[in-house]
This record gives sequence, C-alpha cells and structure tokens, in this order.
Amino acid sequence: MKNMELQLIKKMLQDHGYIGEDAIAMSIFLSMKLEKPLLVEGPAGVGKTEIGKVMAKALNSELIRLQCYEGLDSTHALYEWNYQYQLLYLKMQEGKKGDLKKLEETIFSDQFLLKRPILQAITQQNKSVLLIDEIDRSDEEFESFLLEVLSDWQVTIPEVGTIRATNIPQVILTGNRTRELSEALRRRCLYLWIDYPDFEKELAIVKTKVPEVDSNLGKEICSFMKELRLLRLEKTPGVSETIDWARALASMHLTHLNQQIVEDTLGVVLKDWQDMRQIKDSLSELLEKTGVVSRII
Amino acid sequence: MLAKASIKEMRIIMQEQLITYQTEISGNVILFCRFLRTKGYVLGTIEETDALKAISFMPINQEKYFKEALKAAVTKTQYQFIKFDEFYQEFWDQLSKAVKAKTKDIPIKNERKGKTQKRDAQFEALKNWLKLNPLDDEKAFSSYSYMEILTKKNFSDLSREEMQFMMRLLQKLARKIIHQKSRLRKTTKRKTKLDLKRTIRANMRRGSTIHKIIFSERKNKKLKLVLLCDVSRSMDLYSRFFVHLIYAFQNTYDKIETFVFSTALHRVSEILDNYELEEAFNTISERVPHWSGGTTIGSCLSDFTKDYGYRLLDKKTIVFVLSDGWDTGNPAIMKEAMSTIYKKTRKVIWLNPLAGSSNFSPEAIGMKTALPYIDVLASAHNLESLKCALQQAQSRRNLLNG
Repeated sequence: MKNMELQLIKKMLQDHGYIGEDAIAMSIFLSMKLEKPLLVEGPAGVGKTEIGKVMAKALNSELIRLQCYEGLDSTHALYEWNYQYQLLYLKMQEGKKGDLKKLEETIFSDQFLLKRPILQAITQQNKSVLLIDEIDRSDEEFESFLLEVLSDWQVTIPEVGTIRATNIPQVILTGNRTRELSEALRRRCLYLWIDYPDFEKELAIVKTKVPEVDSNLGKEICSFMKELRLLRLEKTPGVSETIDWARALASMHLTHLNQQIVEDTLGVVLKDWQDMRQIKDSLSELLEKTGVVSRII
Repeated sequence: MLAKASIKEMRIIMQEQLITYQTEISGNVILFCRFLRTKGYVLGTIEETDALKAISFMPINQEKYFKEALKAAVTKTQYQFIKFDEFYQEFWDQLSKAVKAKTKDIPIKNERKGKTQKRDAQFEALKNWLKLNPLDDEKAFSSYSYMEILTKKNFSDLSREEMQFMMRLLQKLARKIIHQKSRLRKTTKRKTKLDLKRTIRANMRRGSTIHKIIFSERKNKKLKLVLLCDVSRSMDLYSRFFVHLIYAFQNTYDKIETFVFSTALHRVSEILDNYELEEAFNTISERVPHWSGGTTIGSCLSDFTKDYGYRLLDKKTIVFVLSDGWDTGNPAIMKEAMSTIYKKTRKVIWLNPLAGSSNFSPEAIGMKTALPYIDVLASAHNLESLKCALQQAQSRRNLLNG
C-alpha cells in the first residue's frame, strides 16, 4: 500500500517525459511527505530545473519561478511597495480632507503591494510549486534571508505584519555548485545529487524527447556523449545538449554518425572554443572509441 | 576516584544496553545516524526525526526503499550523497557481525559470567569502532562537519581530494575579502534602497511632484592584492599548498599580482592566469631557476620595491608575504624593503606556516627584522588560521599599534 504513492510519482515523472533514477522519485516523494524543500545539485544540463516543471505539471499547480542572480535581494524575491502608485495616490488625495491614519493604512495595504515570487507562492490559494533556480548564484545574504521563509513559512513585512503561508508550497532549489551553500540552508532541505545519466538512461531520454530519431543514431549519439564526458573539457555537455544534438541530426534524417557530420554539428554540443579545438583534433580517435566505423568514400 | 570509576562503569553498561537492545528498527536508525556523525555528517535531532518519518512512509519489506529514504533524509552535500552507499554497507556489515556474536551467546546462558567478558570485549571493539562515547559525541556534533575536520587539518598532510575541497573554500573566502563595499553610495537601477536625497534633488525642478524615484547602493571598494610567495627549500613542505592558494586567489580576482621568490624574484601572474593548475605549477617550477633553493628574502623584496613598487603599491593594495622568514642575506636590505612596502600600502600581512606550532617565536633573523613593518603576522598552517588572517585583511590598518 505504502509504496503506491511512490510508484505513482515514478509513473507521473515518466508520463511527463522525465526519466531518471529511483533516487529522484524517492526524494520528491519524501519532500512532499515531509513538507521540506528539496535541494537539487548536479552538473549543468542534467535536468534539475526540469524536476520543478514536471512537478508543477503533475500536481496540476502553478509553477512560480525565482531565478537567482548576484545582487538579488528581498525586493525582487519577496515584495515591494509600489512607490509610484503610492505617490500618485497621495497626490490624488491631496485636495480632499481625510483621516491621516486611514490614509496611511490605505497606502500600505494589499493594493499597493507588489508580490514577488516567494510571497506569491505562500499566499497562493492552491498549493504551488516554487522553483528557486540557481540559488548558488545569489549572495550569501539572500541565502540567509531564505532561511526564515523555508523553515517557518512566514514572511515579515514591517508595515503590515507577519504573513503566514496559507498553503505550504512545494519548494525546489537548484544549484550547480558555483559556490558552496551554507550548512544552515542545507539542513533545512532534503538533498539530491543528480549526475550525468548512464548510457541506457540517456538513450531512453533521447527516445522520449526526440521520438523521430533513428534508433541506431540514438545509440551512437549517446555513446559518443559518454566518451565525450570522460574527457577533460572546460564545459562538459549535459543531457540537454544531447537532446539538442539528437534533434538536430534527426531533422537531417541521418541514420549514422560520421566524422564530417560530427565536425559540422559540434557547435550544438560544445560551447567553448578550446573544447572545440581539442575535440576536433582527437575526433577520429573518439569516434573509433564509440564504435562508429569511419567509412572512407 | 571511586565515584568516577563507577560512573564510567555505568556508562559502559548503558552503552552496552544501547547496542544490545536494538531490536527495533528505529533504534538501528538512530544508531546509524550516530555512526554517520562520526563520518562527518551533520545530523541533529531534526534529521533523525526526518529519517524516522521518512522510513515510516516506506514499505517495510524492501531494503532498497529503506536505504534510499534514509539517503534522501540524511545527506546534505554531494560528498555525503556519494559516500552514503559505502557507509551504509559498512554500518550494516558491522552491525550484523555484532548481532551474530550475540545470537551465538544465547544458548549458553548458564555460563554467562564467563562469556560476558568475551562479549564485553566484542562490544568494546564495536563501540570503539562506532566511537560511541556519548559525551564527546554530543559535544562535538553541533559543529562537526567535513569542512570542520578539514579546517583544523594541517596543510602539509592533505590528500588530493581534500585539496580540491579546500580550493573551493578558499575561493569563497577570497571572494569575500575582495568584494568589499564602500560607505559611499551610487545610484543604481536595481531597486535596492530608496535614496531620498537624490530623489528630491532629481525632482526639484518639478516643484513638489515626485515623478522619478532614485535608488542607490553601496559602491564597490576595489582593493588590489599583491602576493609574494617564498618557494625556497625551507618552505618546500608548504610551497605546493601556497601555489594552490595563490592559484585560487588569482582565479577569483583580476586585480592581483603574484610573485614567487627564492634567490630571485619572478612574476607569475600570467602563468597562473593562462594555465590549468597542474600545468601552472609545473611551468612555474621550471621557469624559476632556484625552486627549493636558498633564500634571500631581503634582496628579493628590495627588487620588488624597485621594479614594481611604483606601479603596484598604493593605499588600496594589500600585500601578502608567504614565507618562513629564513633569510641568508643582509638584514639591512630587508629592513629597508619592508619599510617601503609598509609605508606605501594599505596593509601588510605575513603568513608564516611555522607560526602554527606552539613553540614558535620569530627567531629567524629575517622574521625579526620584518616584524615592525607587518600589520598582521599569522600562521597559515591550516584553513582556520588562514581564515583568521584573511578576515584581518578586511579592516583598515590600526595606526595606534603601528
């Protein structure tokens, strides 16, 4: 009985085209059950953000996304007073005689409050999914500010008071370790590390995402990517690159990889000129390893 | 004495009970958590409750789910996540050994007294292995983490893996000192803080109507760093680490110049900028002819002030000298060079790895001469001391002491 829900989540992930290890389903399941945020880390392009999207779709709830960047602060994440609007309102009221206290109450009411993602998520009518993307890009100050929200599910606005969550949102934080996150934040979350998928998983992903791809081509693409990731590159390609590449090659109706094609379409996979140069030099060796027989015409 | 002994005995008995009576799964989970704590996992009661709650959602008959639920509940970092399976296996192996030992004893209940000793020994071994000394354990766990272990470890005995981890921490630290905020403010499009003064000024021409709102934020203070690193033989043990250190610094910040010296001064900023760490290290040690040779700190520093001092040293510069202060040259040269550097810069920080040992006193002649011209003398033998030294870098020079 008990693992019904877990199976359900697995199935749900699969139905929405998300193929991954069992650990992923387990972490999602537990974070829903324990009502704890889920911190997902892993290299770029392995589908961290996708988890949030799929979850929102599956739970049939709204996805509220907060993209983090350096310098992100509470006015962008939480709330902001609509200053201009407030000023205009005051200007309009100027001629009229009114109670000053009442006026103050009005300009600090909901009407003038701009809700930013986090406040929006916790005041939502239905349970929502809050995706805090690339948390490691934000400053440490922002991280500590998140702590209040993530553990107590409440937000304090000085003029209004404390706003408690009507519905605890499903929070997913993603990061790819550009900076070490604080222990305090980690302790409030469940942790999930997603690595590059193995050959079978990746093939399955390619097949679901790009159904038109030739099965032989799919295999060759995946094994090529696998070899590619073993090399020391500046920027190792992720699963999203694999999918892009498969899509690109499938649109050309190819059934086999060959050196010329790989060389021409390398820009889809590699995003760094040094990597490009390195791979171009060792391409034939790499193709040999992946089992692509170079046919000399 | 007597009381102490009996308390100890009682503790042993209690511990023994703690292990023997773990017939419930929850007990084992707690035991497992304690085991993980010794491995550097940060597990408080919250995590333990989480773990117990998590397994309560799981079907009881499948170990796979049990394991994964625990994994999801207790791991908090990549290191912990990856190592979990290994620790899990290790724990249950050891536990099953203990259980087997126990079941063997059950039939011979009559000879219990004789056997207890043996059993005691077994449990003692397990206990030692589990390090289940509750007092120490309880004390330690609030601050016990992989990072904590590393910060107290001497730099000279780090493994490669730990080195990488250390680099991440260092970069984080370096970024922190370098990105300082000035007290001055500048206008910004980011809606950080409403700047009333500037808003009023900007809207003055419109009379009392305020159309435009101006925000401001604190200006970035741009500090420059100069690193002077000793790579002579006496520093051999540490110079490898110091190369790591300067590499980490160089890669986080662009306003930095790095020099290495033993008997002559070499500028290595460009090498560090353009090569990977390993390669950079090799290139530097190739190009610097007296790598692990003798030291003439004085003449090197005076070369530095002559050749680069004019351009590199100003009141926005922090100078780091990484050396043990063993100088074979003339102290007068050293004195002059150091005083020039001191006068021209914002701060001089001397990192001496030997200062970490308890019986250190600045005996070396070089160190003695340099001492009056140093703002901070710090040991840099482990991360904690380095952290302290770097934090010192943030504040201004204390003129009262100088």
